[in-house]
Amino acid sequence: MHKRNRIILDAGIATAVVALMGIMRGVYSNELMLFNFIMFLTLSQGLNIIYGFTGYLPFGYVGFYGAGAYGFSLVVMHLHVPAMVGMVAAGAAALVLGVILLPLLRLSGAYFAIASMAAAQAVYEIVANPDLESITKGPYGVSLSDVFAPATSYYVALAILAGTLLLVVWLRNSRFGMSLQAIRDDSVSAAMAGVSVVRGRTIAWLLSALIAGLVGGVFAWHISVFYPDTAFDLSVSIFSTVFLLFGGATTLSGPLLGVFILYGIYNIIGIAVPQYFQFTYGALIVLLVLFLPNGLVSLLTNRGIRVP
Amino acid sequence: MLTGAIVAGVVFGLYYTLVGLGLNLVFGVMRIVNLAHGDFLMLGGISAWFLFTSFGLNPFVSVGLVVVVFLLVGLPIYYLVVPRLLRSRDSEMLSLILFFGISQMIEAVTTIGLGATERSLPPRLLGVGPMVILGTRLPKAWIFSAAASAIAVLLVYLYLYRTRLGTLTRAVMVSRDEALATGIDVNFVSAVAFGISLALAGVAGVFAPFILGSITPNMGVAINITAFAVIVVGTLGNPLGTLLGGIIYGVSLMLMQTYLSSWANLLPNLLLIAVLLIRPEGILGRKTRRA
Amino acid sequence: MSPEPLLQVEGLVKRFGGFRALDGVSFHLNPGEVLGLVGPNGSGKTTCINVICGLYAPDGGSVRYAGRSIGGQKSHHLVKTGINRTFQSPKPFLSLTVRENVEVAAHNGNPRPGFDVDALLALLELDRYSGRPAAELNSAQQKTLDLARAMATEPRLLLVDELAAGLNPAELSRMADRLRALADGGMALLIVEHLMGFIDKVTDRVVVMAAGKEFFGGTLADATRDPEVIRVFLGGGHHG
Repeated sequence: MHKRNRIILDAGIATAVVALMGIMRGVYSNELMLFNFIMFLTLSQGLNIIYGFTGYLPFGYVGFYGAGAYGFSLVVMHLHVPAMVGMVAAGAAALVLGVILLPLLRLSGAYFAIASMAAAQAVYEIVANPDLESITKGPYGVSLSDVFAPATSYYVALAILAGTLLLVVWLRNSRFGMSLQAIRDDSVSAAMAGVSVVRGRTIAWLLSALIAGLVGGVFAWHISVFYPDTAFDLSVSIFSTVFLLFGGATTLSGPLLGVFILYGIYNIIGIAVPQYFQFTYGALIVLLVLFLPNGLVSLLTNRGIRVP
Repeated sequence: MLTGAIVAGVVFGLYYTLVGLGLNLVFGVMRIVNLAHGDFLMLGGISAWFLFTSFGLNPFVSVGLVVVVFLLVGLPIYYLVVPRLLRSRDSEMLSLILFFGISQMIEAVTTIGLGATERSLPPRLLGVGPMVILGTRLPKAWIFSAAASAIAVLLVYLYLYRTRLGTLTRAVMVSRDEALATGIDVNFVSAVAFGISLALAGVAGVFAPFILGSITPNMGVAINITAFAVIVVGTLGNPLGTLLGGIIYGVSLMLMQTYLSSWANLLPNLLLIAVLLIRPEGILGRKTRRA
Repeated sequence: MSPEPLLQVEGLVKRFGGFRALDGVSFHLNPGEVLGLVGPNGSGKTTCINVICGLYAPDGGSVRYAGRSIGGQKSHHLVKTGINRTFQSPKPFLSLTVRENVEVAAHNGNPRPGFDVDALLALLELDRYSGRPAAELNSAQQKTLDLARAMATEPRLLLVDELAAGLNPAELSRMADRLRALADGGMALLIVEHLMGFIDKVTDRVVVMAAGKEFFGGTLADATRDPEVIRVFLGGGHHG
């Protein structure tokens, strides 16, 4: 396929998804469910940027989401600023955490995954600590009724999704994205191709962190009452990871398919007894790793068909 | 107070050695991370609770049953997933994801079957009253849990260094490829190591209610971070290093709880990150892996 | 006085823990010249390449390239100044196509825009696989792709690490011709190799290393008559 057509196809898919989620709000009454869809569509693409393009799988991805949620809440609670300023704080909080955790990129594979999970847990232990109640409200959770604006926050979430999808489209079709994949495949060869390995990984890591932070911020805004256990719930990482792996990393459509199919099933059968869904996706992960380690899209890519 | 913290730390450290040992054995032999280790530990605890509440079995008796059953369960699990996993391009990373899936399945089934409530066992089952060590009064339940852990660690040592299969296991740890080339049945050796690893998790689970206070179906993740912290501190892939890692972990935990108790939960996380960044090869390790 | 050589290695030292992999090795290389680096296993040949191309920082001595000291500079930076290398076991970017593998190097490592990737692929007879994933190439083709990756940055100094291992005689001879042609075009080549026939065909002179330092420099013919060289190779259990 010609390169320009590839970009048009990618951009078309991105636009269609954003338009769909925008239209659905007027059609379907369960706004919270739609909002959750937008969150996971965005998070799984954010994870795609770091895992799909650099091979680092942060099990503690939720740490950035939580940092964003609390970045938003702390400035809104204490400084009484407008919600959009809170969103800036959410992004900034995740970026700061991303910079603090940059040394983790020296670790490889499993070490990185587990260290990032420990880091997310550590941030949770700090935020939820009763000693810090005057600042974070500790384990008792925050309430942000002053800025509650479900419609605005929904569209802000949609804008973040749009931005994230565009970013992934760009990565898939740009020299920078290709360099990142080169680093993922072999960092030494990449260095000998003139690619700055550290710079590439750092940029991907911070972009990925920023996205999760913004999603966390808009979550806090939309939901307006939440506990640290919700903001740092490991299932946020797990769901995003499973959706990404199920569909297929490094593609645009893979994570989208993963969210629409699996989160769709979750909303049909999972809500009442989440454990049935937990069991199902646990089994799915096992089967995927054993039989389809590159996700659903690899059914096509293995036959030499390019998937958007 | 300091002596007390250190004595209790060593006692807990022996237990944490047991928690990490199985995970490290599997990593050493197969270079995979069993992220369901904490969930097998939880199942061990559930078994002890079930055997006591239904049949009145004392944990000292149920531990034997748990060892046999977990060992036998480990073999088919190994043959079902591990050989296939080891053939993939990045088995270390994929193992993490795969066992995470298994961990989710175990947690889900346990919650569906038994509910999410906490379960505990009366400490008197392991002995009544305190015992005094170096002027520190410790519950007998702690002492006996630590003693059982020490025995399990000793048995693993004897297995690895005094039996033929153990010698073969150590050969596989040094180089899986060369062991294969010399005609060792690497799969059987690994399957037994995997079974032993689950049995160790099971034993740690049986004593978990006495050391950790209670058992819940979702405790696996926290246990995994702890176990990983222990074995990373004590050198990955080196089962004996686990003892050092366990004691260091136990003593630091007790010092934290004595002097900075509300922040004690931070410890395993920070310790893990710090060791990975500063000395990824562990305290006993030689610098072999590219960090 | 003759002008400064393109590459001047002087008293280079590299330690791993207590082990001195390089223990004061010195040699030089001029544009258009092919220098063979030979010696028993473990004599420090590959370490030497790794230090020159910036994968390791040296612990002592100096590496001068094009009149500047480059010891300790990062690989991705050195690549842009005209140093590149091939690997004994090449690790191409397996999920990218053959063409993309070369494109990455041309885009990032070649300061001159507009490098003709397709012409290079045709020259190295990889054009047939251009759109295929690199994972589908066999090991000889992956070695050629590794060379293409290096050539896409248009190096002035190319370090070649055991290119011959695993190639059949026809491929070997084609590879030797290619390297000779690069030197004739003015490129300086440093070649680490065990196959003496290959060394003989390609190099102008050789440096013989043992235990991290050089102890002979001259033509291969002279080297094979040198009693010290013979002693080191036999004593080192060499099998080349």
